[in-house]
Parts: sequence; C-alpha cells; structure tokens
Amino acid sequence: MAMAALRREGRRMAAPLITPHPINPLRSSLASSDREHTLLGVRSISTQVVRNRMKSVRNIQKITKAMKMVAASKLRAIQTKAENSRGLWQPFTALLGDTPSVDVKKNVIVTISSDKGLCGGINSTSVKISRGLHKLNAGPEKECKYVILGEKAKAQLVRDSKKDIELAFTELQKNPLNYTQVAVLADDILKNVEYDALRIVFNKFQSVVAFVPTTSTVLSPEVVEREAEAGGKLGELDSYEIEGGETKSEVLQNLTEFQFSCVMFNAMLENACSEQGARMSAMDSSSRNAGDMLDRLTLTYNRTRQASITTELIEIISGASALEG
Amino acid sequence: MTLNLCVLTPNRIVWDSEVKEIILSTNSGQIGVLPNHAPIATAVDIGILRIRLKDQWLTMALMGGFARIGNNEITVLVNDAERGSDIDPQEAQETLEIAEANLRKAEGKRQIIEANLALRRARTRVEAVNAIS
Repeated sequence: MAMAALRREGRRMAAPLITPHPINPLRSSLASSDREHTLLGVRSISTQVVRNRMKSVRNIQKITKAMKMVAASKLRAIQTKAENSRGLWQPFTALLGDTPSVDVKKNVIVTISSDKGLCGGINSTSVKISRGLHKLNAGPEKECKYVILGEKAKAQLVRDSKKDIELAFTELQKNPLNYTQVAVLADDILKNVEYDALRIVFNKFQSVVAFVPTTSTVLSPEVVEREAEAGGKLGELDSYEIEGGETKSEVLQNLTEFQFSCVMFNAMLENACSEQGARMSAMDSSSRNAGDMLDRLTLTYNRTRQASITTELIEIISGASALEG
Repeated sequence: MTLNLCVLTPNRIVWDSEVKEIILSTNSGQIGVLPNHAPIATAVDIGILRIRLKDQWLTMALMGGFARIGNNEITVLVNDAERGSDIDPQEAQETLEIAEANLRKAEGKRQIIEANLALRRARTRVEAVNAIS
C-alpha cells in the first residue's frame, strides 16, 4: 500500500517534466505553488511543491522503518514459542500419520491468516491454497466448508464463497497466543462443525525470508478407525494397545481432539511468525523505495531551484540591459 | 537397556533424556513402565509422574494428556507439566486452599466442574512437592 502511494507520487512528478512546452519567460516560477500551473505544462515547477513531496516521502520512509523494527522485535518473541511448539505435533504425526490425500465426505478447511495488512503476500497465498483445496475436494457427494481465522482471509473469501463459510474468528492476536486460548478455540470449532477431515492451511516459518504455505490434516476418530483397518501408517495404530478410558473409540476421540488443538497451536504460531517476517521484508523494501524516491526528488529539487535562479538572473540582466539602451 | 523419556507441553520440552523406570497415572490407575514394555497408547490423567534415574526418584506433576510407549521410547504429551523441584511448597499449599474455597463457593454445573479440575491440579502440585521431601 505504501509502495503504491509512492508510485503514484512518482507518476505525478514525471508528467509535468516531460511535456515539451517552451519556457514562458513571463511566468516566474517562484510564485506559483499551485498544481494547475504544473499540469498546464510549464516546465518550471515550484520548489515548494517538490519540497512538500519530499517531506511526505520522508515521513513514509520513517514510518516504514519503524514498522520494520517493530515487526523484527515481535518476530523474535514469537519465534522461540513457535520452535518450542514444533515438538508437540510430531508424535501425533508419528502415531497417526498426516494423510492429505484421504478421501472423505465432509471436509473442513481451516484457513489461518492475519488481521492486519502490509505483510506481503502470505494471506493471498493461504487463500489461494484454500480455494485450490476446496476445488479438489468438492464433488457430487462431498462437501467442503471453510472455517476462517483472521480478518484478511475473511475479506477475501467472503467475496466468492460466502455460503461455504461456517465460522469466522477475528481479533485473535490481541493477547499473546497461549495454548489455553487455542484449546478453547479448537473446542469451539469441533463442537460447531461436522467433519471427517480437517485441513489446516497456514504459512510455515522456515526462515526470515522463506514462508512455505502448508496444510496439515487431522482426521476424525471414525475415519481414523476406518483407515486403520485399511492399513498403511494408521494400520500400525492397532499394534498399540489402547488404555485409559472406557473404550478404544473414546480414547481415540480424545486423542484426535488433542491432536487438533496441538496442531492448531503450532499452526497459529508459525503463521504469526510468517506474518511478522513478511511484514519486515515488505517494510524494508518500502523504506528502500522511499529512499530511492527521495534521491530522485532531491535531484529534481536542485534542478528546479537552479532553473528558477537562472530565470531570475536572466530577467534582471535583460531588464538592466534594456534600461541601458 | 534404558528408556528414552520425552515429556512435551505446548510451550516447551520439559524432559528429554534416558531413565530407568517410570510410573505414570492414567485414567485406569497407575502403570509402571520398565524397558521392553509392550507398545501402548494411553490417556494420562491429572497426576504425578515418577521417574527413576539409577536409584533416585523424581516427581513431576502432569496436567492431563496422552502417552505413547513403544520400542523403549516414551512420549508424554500434556497440557502442562512441572517438576517437583520447581514447585514452591508454600505457594502450592496456598493454591490448594484457594481451589478448595472456590469449590465450596461454586454454583452451577460448569463452575463445579472447573473448580474440581482446579482442585485436582492444585492437589497434584502439592503431592509432587511432598513426594520428594
């Protein structure tokens, strides 16, 4: 958004400069500070106008620099938490497997996005992947619903898939993320949505410049039992004797609920890290663009200033020589 | 032959090293795990985990979760875990008293259930502290 504003400024500057009208010696450039003169094609632009533009570009640069530093410090805080939570879902994947290719009737796509903008393209990639998954999984008997976390994905998905959205949560990042809050949220989702498979779409944080959109699949207990009989990774589940609960299905249900909340917690933390990292790099390139723009404006300013001084000198000298005769 | 124990919470890894034996409390009672135990996956209740290293027993308070035991590898995933040595006895006792008071004041099914859970958690922490000393 900031970069688009800067581009607009550049276009406004370029237009008056390249119009091929001769300098009108009667018009002094010193006094005119209004846009109409520049748009009419007078090559001498007022220094006041250029100075105003420089001031606004400088302000934008300061703001984007500050936003970059804020994002960097927030990133540091969340990064340790995200790395600690990574160990949590690995045992689940080792036990139950992560099978995105499972074929079920009721799919629910949980899209995680940010609430605030100016963070690069991560929200758009998440929404693109969600739409792709939706297309893959929608068919004659199958249905596919969305659960949206975060304002940005909601804004994009509400436009074309409004009827498929089950639940939407926003303003999740007001308080720093902790597991209890996510557990309550996961509980909420599980209670209100019927599902056979939950696909969580988020941006995994690989490094400060690399964010990979990923999807984790959590299956409902019935599907787990069905797949366990079919064999494969889940077939090993039967080799474990299940204890601690009245029946095997009760334990499996608790297990999948716990799995969902752990995977959600990790996904939300990773997405938050990706958001801060993307914002850092977006604000960095924005500051650099503002710096470039400022250099170009300074050159224009100097040229304008020198042109006005030259015009004034010409007037004085020609006036003096006219008096002499 | 030693067991490799891993205790994980959403916020951090609490324990990750080798032990000789553990005693875990589950919904259906306490189970002791020695090397070469049969593979099981079980739910863990709010209770104490006892770990034996050589001849010394350590306690840890666990707040509910799951455990998977197989191939001499034990993975315990819980909502929260605290080492007995990290708990302040005074503070644990006070938390227990507050939890008991809350239970007596609680009205309505939901509040009673929550107060009960809080009480069990507080009691587990007090037991963890006492079991060492």
